[in-house]
Amino acid sequence: MAEILLSAQGLGVRFGSFNAIEDLNLSIARGTLHSVIGPNGAGKTTLFNALSGTRIPTQGEIRFQGHPITNVPAYGRVHLGLSRSFQLTNIFRDLSVAENILLALQAVAGREAWAFWRNRDPLKVRKKRAAELADTVGLSARFEARAGDLSHGAQRALEIAMALASDPKLLFLDEPLAGMGLDDVHRTKLLIKSLAPERTVVLIEHNMSVVLDISDTVTVLAQGKKIAEGSPQAIRTNVEVKNAYLGSAA
Amino acid sequence: MTTEGLRFPNGTTVVIAVFLIALPCILPSLTLASEILVLATGALSCTLLLGSVGLLSFGQGLYFGLGAYVSAILIRDFELTALAATIVASLAGCLLAAAAGLLIVRRQGVYFVMLTLAFAQMGFFLALAFPRLTGGENGFGNVPRTTIAFGQFALSNPLLLYAFLAFLSFAAFALVQRIVASPFGSVLNSIRYNESRSEALGYDARRFKLAAVTMAGGIAALAGAMNTLMLSFVPLSAIDVETSERLLIASLIGGVGSPLGALIGASVLSAMSDFLSPIWPRWSTIVAVLLIVTVLFLRDGLLGLGGVLRRQGKEMPNG
Repeated sequence: MAEILLSAQGLGVRFGSFNAIEDLNLSIARGTLHSVIGPNGAGKTTLFNALSGTRIPTQGEIRFQGHPITNVPAYGRVHLGLSRSFQLTNIFRDLSVAENILLALQAVAGREAWAFWRNRDPLKVRKKRAAELADTVGLSARFEARAGDLSHGAQRALEIAMALASDPKLLFLDEPLAGMGLDDVHRTKLLIKSLAPERTVVLIEHNMSVVLDISDTVTVLAQGKKIAEGSPQAIRTNVEVKNAYLGSAA
Repeated sequence: MTTEGLRFPNGTTVVIAVFLIALPCILPSLTLASEILVLATGALSCTLLLGSVGLLSFGQGLYFGLGAYVSAILIRDFELTALAATIVASLAGCLLAAAAGLLIVRRQGVYFVMLTLAFAQMGFFLALAFPRLTGGENGFGNVPRTTIAFGQFALSNPLLLYAFLAFLSFAAFALVQRIVASPFGSVLNSIRYNESRSEALGYDARRFKLAAVTMAGGIAALAGAMNTLMLSFVPLSAIDVETSERLLIASLIGGVGSPLGALIGASVLSAMSDFLSPIWPRWSTIVAVLLIVTVLFLRDGLLGLGGVLRRQGKEMPNG
């Protein structure tokens, strides 16, 4: 069996008396593309927030490469090799595409971010890396454009470029296709697929055809609990999943 | 402030330098020019916090007061020269701000503001509670006019005093410009835009905020020390909440989009006080109106006035 990169044991997130996530066990194998699906309110984003450090879970333990990281804050997890994109586009709208990516690169460039005695002259190496990242997500032509002026699809792409800037071992993508046009969906799908197996990808996505097409493993959540897990083929035919999720759509 | 592509030194640096040199030539008295320098430097600490990291501090008067008392004690009782006393007082401001900041930066938004206010109030009552150290309500008096350093350049010469205050003030403005245009400044800027995103990129927002709060504390304390040099005296009001308020209002009226705003806001406020107070004792009412107008219609302060007028002109037919 493949090495487990990230695991959650007995994970619980509680908001007051409401259990958003309850006693969840999850194992993400290195180099796989692992999708988390489920109906609205199933707790997918809450799970992402707990795994990426935005929300410290109320119960359970999270391990990354065997080390517990349950209480490591979000910024700390970036330096361990985890990175995330957001469901609602979360970029610096007033900065250019280049500046957004450079800001992300600077965050993992050691002491660079603390330099207050000199101007911002990013090294050629870093500018080149920023251009490469823009190219990876198809934003080369808009490199100097203001991020807020980009189309919705292009902003989603920028999100991914910024998440990739830290050269993460594990990348969380929260609904990267949400609100994208058909062309963008296809291109972004190929991009996500190309990230594994070099990187491990955990994906939340509503577009079922894409999920079933590119995932290695699919975990199905409903009401904060895991109701099924397996290959896309197994999930497609799972009766419980049909009832809880696919059935509701039909 | 839009800071990308910003460099230091730049045109604004020159404008600030010219402004500081021109002030005593334009204004009727050196005292008024000196008052502007003190207020501008204090307001600059609010501009740094609000304009770069987006932190609203209602308590910069605490560090202003601390700087005023520390420098006064060092000059009168320990016979330090002005430069040495100013440096030590500024460092004391950094230290206190770092210590208070450890607690303050744990909270965001309104709670952050309330904590800065609470610390400022505490400082005032401590100053009142230890009159043997601070002179209490009578203030801390008899601070001799010392020399700048090494027994050279006596500050009893009013023009030299102004020159020294202008030098200190310029150093503070240059420092803030330096910070804003640096890689560190780009992080502060990103935290102001979007704190959660900055953290997701890997920045420890709290540590960066703490660093900014520490620097701002040092600058406010520097302004306090300048106040002592100017007055040879520390009134209790140097550490009261009204001082915090004045620093904040000066920075808001001038505009926090650039360090220059602090200088403009302080000039307007001090000049109004000087010209209007003999005519109308309730002149502060005008400041209140000015603040309301600024907040409602001039979000970038007087600094943004030019831009607003230009846009208005474009929208006017035949304008």
